[in-house]
Amino acid sequence: MLPDSAHPVWIQIATGKKAVSSGKLAINLLIQNNRIEMEKDASPAHVKEIAGRTYQFFKQYETIFASEFQKILG
Amino acid sequence: MLETIHASLQTVAQLEAAIRGGEPLFLAGSRDALQRLPRGNWVAGTIPYFMTDDGGLLSEDRVFATPVPACAVSVKPAVYGASDLAALYREAPLHGFTFLVLPAATEVHKTFAERASSFDGFLLKPMVGWVTGVRVDRIGAERPAVIDGMTGELFEDRCAALHLALPANKIADLDIVNIFDRGDGPTIRFDDAGFKVRECLIDGGWANLASYVTRHGIPTEFPLVGDYNGSAINVSFQKVDAQAGTVDFYAPVFPGVNYHFAKPVADYEKAFAEAIGNDSQEPEFACNCILNYLYGKLEGKKTGHVTGPITFGEVAHQLLNQTMVRLYLRDIG
Repeated sequence: MLPDSAHPVWIQIATGKKAVSSGKLAINLLIQNNRIEMEKDASPAHVKEIAGRTYQFFKQYETIFASEFQKILG
Repeated sequence: MLETIHASLQTVAQLEAAIRGGEPLFLAGSRDALQRLPRGNWVAGTIPYFMTDDGGLLSEDRVFATPVPACAVSVKPAVYGASDLAALYREAPLHGFTFLVLPAATEVHKTFAERASSFDGFLLKPMVGWVTGVRVDRIGAERPAVIDGMTGELFEDRCAALHLALPANKIADLDIVNIFDRGDGPTIRFDDAGFKVRECLIDGGWANLASYVTRHGIPTEFPLVGDYNGSAINVSFQKVDAQAGTVDFYAPVFPGVNYHFAKPVADYEKAFAEAIGNDSQEPEFACNCILNYLYGKLEGKKTGHVTGPITFGEVAHQLLNQTMVRLYLRDIG
């Protein structure tokens, strides 16, 4: 079960404060893309947008990446 | 969906019956072979190179057919130009994936390569496919193209897509097989995104990449390897012009990514066999890069047990180079 969309963990992942290590291509593309987006614009509004996209991604792939997500989210 | 054929190299005659029977297909073949097919529910890209059960093969009269998975609940072909690529993502199903073919060295190819990650739906609406090409001895003389099988129209400046919706219990999972690892050399970073590069940061100092590659005798048949949070994403060298001070790549480099020259690979066939191992699930679709075919001398040699077109660029969410792409459908309950 994922934390809800308002949980601070999504901001932590979006900003890179929570490290994500994975062998899955899609997860790594998401994290690298977040990093690039953050370098361009780290304003609170943009961080919120990136965190929202991150939550959506986790929601979509919750079943097939369950064990990866469990490791990431603790 | 019908799924009367399995993913394999077919003659035009063999495909005619499946197409006339209404089977939706994702096709790869020479322009001549594709233009001999009847109209139907298919999209295709031009390429005459294939990985087959018997090894790498050049064939201008056969077509590699990938059937739409039998579980697909809807199939919608479409074409898009560079200016309406956002619609590719808008029109992709909320739950499914899209087969995509992009003609090489065109504005639509460049726009997808540089901007895919900026479109709403990136990663959430998986794109899988490849960049179309021609026989390497006809590069420049013949143009890569895509065909919308519904109309029979051929496009040299638009991409073709087959949007597939999946049932709630299936999800698309894209995976790559990259035989290249980063080497021990310097870390390279770029300030701007693009296919053509002049200056870059090499271990923190500004330098001209073309001069560096020439001076150090870097073998350019091996790619630059970008570190995407631990996933190795290749960018292949197209041309190094030391006099002009430019390097052209087959995919864009991006700022914010650490790149390294790849560790050389001596035996591509062995490297693929080892990387693929004994994966028991067959992918629904796979493709591999023409540079691996050429530099790895893969004609007549196998790339593990995986078959599919050999292409001028691969797509797994974003444009890739010198990489095998595989599509799997996973059960989710």
